[in-house]
Amino acid sequence: MIRTPLRPLARILRARETGENPDAIEAENLRLRHEAQRDRARMQAEGRLLVLSVFFFCAFGVVGARMGLMAASVPEEPRVQAGGTAIVAQRADIVDRNGRVLATNMFTHSLYAQPPLMIDKEKAARELAKIFPELDEQKLLKDFTGKRKFLWIRKKLSPEQKQAVHDIGDPGLLFGPREMRLYPNGSLAAHILGGASFGREGVHSAEVIGVAGVERAFDDYLRDPAEEGRPLQLSIDLTVQSAVREVLYGGMKLMNAKGAAAVLMDVHTGEVLSMVSLPDFDPNDRPPPLLKGDPADSPLFNRALQGVYELGSTFKIFTVSQAMEMGMVRPETMVDANAPMKWGRFKIHEFQNHNYGPLLSVTDVIVKSSNVGTAKIALRIGGERQKAFLGELGFLQPTPIEMVEAPGAAPIYPGNWSEITTITASYGHGIAASPMHLAAAYSSLLNGGTRVVPTLLRRNTVEKGKRIVSEETSRAAREMLRQVVVRGTASFGAVAGYEVAGKTGTANKPKGNGGYYQDKNVNTFASVFPASDPKYVLIVTMDEASDTSGDEPRRTAGWTAVPVAAEVIRRAAPLLGLAPIIETPDLTAVRHTSN
Amino acid sequence: MSYLEYNVKRVPTGLSKILYLNWPLILLLMAVASVGFLMLYSVAGGSLEPWAEPQMKRFALGMAAMLTIAMVPIWFWRNMAGLAYGVSILLLLAVEFFGTTGMGATRWIDLGFMRLQPSELTKITLVMILAAYYDWLDIRRTSHPLWVAIPLILILLPTFLVLKQPDLGTAILLVAGGGTVMFLAGVSWWYFGVVIAGVGGLVFAVFASRGTDWQLIKDYQFRRIDTFLDPSSDPLGAGYHITQSKIALGSGGWTGRGFMQGTQSRLNFLPEKHTDFIFTTLAEEFGFLGASSLLVLYGLIILFCFYSAFSNKDRFGSLLTLGIGTTFFLFFAINMSMVMGLAPVVGVPLPMVSYGGSAMLVLLVAFGLTQSAHVHRPRGR
Repeated sequence: MIRTPLRPLARILRARETGENPDAIEAENLRLRHEAQRDRARMQAEGRLLVLSVFFFCAFGVVGARMGLMAASVPEEPRVQAGGTAIVAQRADIVDRNGRVLATNMFTHSLYAQPPLMIDKEKAARELAKIFPELDEQKLLKDFTGKRKFLWIRKKLSPEQKQAVHDIGDPGLLFGPREMRLYPNGSLAAHILGGASFGREGVHSAEVIGVAGVERAFDDYLRDPAEEGRPLQLSIDLTVQSAVREVLYGGMKLMNAKGAAAVLMDVHTGEVLSMVSLPDFDPNDRPPPLLKGDPADSPLFNRALQGVYELGSTFKIFTVSQAMEMGMVRPETMVDANAPMKWGRFKIHEFQNHNYGPLLSVTDVIVKSSNVGTAKIALRIGGERQKAFLGELGFLQPTPIEMVEAPGAAPIYPGNWSEITTITASYGHGIAASPMHLAAAYSSLLNGGTRVVPTLLRRNTVEKGKRIVSEETSRAAREMLRQVVVRGTASFGAVAGYEVAGKTGTANKPKGNGGYYQDKNVNTFASVFPASDPKYVLIVTMDEASDTSGDEPRRTAGWTAVPVAAEVIRRAAPLLGLAPIIETPDLTAVRHTSN
Repeated sequence: MSYLEYNVKRVPTGLSKILYLNWPLILLLMAVASVGFLMLYSVAGGSLEPWAEPQMKRFALGMAAMLTIAMVPIWFWRNMAGLAYGVSILLLLAVEFFGTTGMGATRWIDLGFMRLQPSELTKITLVMILAAYYDWLDIRRTSHPLWVAIPLILILLPTFLVLKQPDLGTAILLVAGGGTVMFLAGVSWWYFGVVIAGVGGLVFAVFASRGTDWQLIKDYQFRRIDTFLDPSSDPLGAGYHITQSKIALGSGGWTGRGFMQGTQSRLNFLPEKHTDFIFTTLAEEFGFLGASSLLVLYGLIILFCFYSAFSNKDRFGSLLTLGIGTTFFLFFAINMSMVMGLAPVVGVPLPMVSYGGSAMLVLLVAFGLTQSAHVHRPRGR
């Protein structure tokens, strides 16, 4: 910086010559310098002010522009994009064979709280406890006043409950939309459908996942977006299912049974038209599984599929059919049925210690349900071939039916198929299988002799399965079973016009520690109708049933399962579209009475 | 520059001072305050209670204080600057030890009849002391490191105390306001360059450190930054205010829904609807037109402050007016930016409009000082 000196020598000298005061010059110069300095400062200050003004102006511009942009924007509620994969809430419906809805979705709301947003926490807790009696006011208040920023209060709300929560008016109580699974028929097809619950849950949606039954087995299909919500069509007929359940329920009560199950199957296609297990539950409000005790006592237990029982005399027809198929016997062949039969250290008795004598026709072995006769036939067949035949009928594997519970319901049979096993298995003891197994086996045997695979899905095309027995054997077996109803142990099973044929089975329930209860039975009636041209197989099983209408309780299938099955057929057959067969007078041997 | 260099005799005296007040500025302040009354009336659902009436009373009190202060010569206030600053620092310290805690921060001193918020007061006293300092300081020393360090300490001392409360909004205002006064006083560009580069580098370092072992700030602090950058990522949590106020602004459109017709703000969607977020009510009910009108009013206030400062040859008065104008600007600029999602949410009220006693009183006192500077400005020679 070049400074002008305050006392420039030349000027001072000149001033001295003229007699001026040099101090005045210095003062003058000082003043000029100050002024220059001040002007510079001002210039600088003005420059700085200009810079600031430009900055302010820009800020104004930005704020104004933003205001304009926002004013021009369409207000839109933001949507949360949940982290990770998006939750697919959509789930396809499940319908019956006629397209009637068995399971669908309902739009509802969940309720959650964000305590930091809440205004009056005490009031909110109090009012919520009033609306939902199962909530505890103190616990709610603790949650609200604690450190939690988010908590679920209810997963599902009814519209009335939602309005009531709205009326509390607390901004910290919030609703999230969600789909829930609805079973409009309640417990009607409870075990088939199983149930659904929420999987991954977000505020704005929740995943509905199947937890049991068909819902679980077809979970991927039902949730597959590629299927575009096409409903899953089952083989079930809702009307028939309703009739079967109603009759079975009445029968169970009447027979004082602990439980009951029924399977109605199309003999040609293996489609299950109805499957009922009692007691049942409401899939809309699925009960929790039992934590202790026998899981078979839970209403969640599906007796028709998971109930693996010794099915008793219903198995005799398999033994007899195999013998006929192998050409060993014909229906009128006489068999030695002298009882009791000794085999090693075992004695084979007839029911109530009957003795059917040395000459019993094969037909009567079935009609009278002779254990000894069946055992003799079985011994002639041999264990290996018997086991193979039962295997072909599906008794050695779990049923392939499309339910998540099916693989767990494996039949029980001895690992070593000894001769005594051959004997007991011939009349359905020592081998346990589910009613579903029995239904499939009866269908295969009686439909003309081709194997059917049980299914819960509607089949549109019928494909003949592998031949198991000849048409002839199949027909002969049907005729024998028809005789059981006409003049045998299942005389209560006669239903006018529907030619019911079938076989009873009464097995004592096994004790946990080996041996059998004498007064606890599993009663089964395996029936097929109409006998001349079989269309359907019906299995009815009753657990610990006893008919108390007589002097002493009667616990055989003929007194318990059979009349219930007859009533089921009476109700269901017309619903299935079966025309009653007007029996011609020449069949006078057929009596329409229950003896 | 000293008053001795000017003809003080031409400065108005007595009641005639009223004629020389900066009347346009007063009218503008009244207009802005009226907007505030209207909005407070509206958010209360069409009622003077509980906000509009107390606010009016405070405004009347503040106006009286402003006029009183305007009557007192500016050189008196300059001489008081040091004392005022010292008192406000003491008050901040007192808050630290005897303060009342509210909403998670300790900011108030309970005086019995009113609750004083010393951090508000500090915004003014800091500007006063800085203006007085540069008035006193030889202009040639302005950029000397030693003489730069002193005002830096003056700024950072209250900033530190305010940050401890904690009150980030006020701290930002103090630093930005004080920095602006230093800038206007002519401190070399280099200092500002270094500071800006330093802050930029720090921000870069913070972001660069994310996810590494030497991470400089906590994870939750990062999440707050994320929420600011994208409020929709957490619309019910930290982004709630912003999201809701954006909805309000958007639903207002160009002309608004009409007085008392705002839904977002009146239906309790917005917390703090009568204080920091009152701008959303205005924008929703009067739309872009109303919101930009308020912006214009604010702009005019700044303009009149700047003009007053520009035409004032007294260095103290000029710097004081500019500093107060800048503080005022920072108030509404930060508030509006925050409401519109341009800046993170820090607690800065909308000046003269938001409900709140301390802020309004302090602002009116500050404008009283600018009026005093305006009335007592040196006139010619």
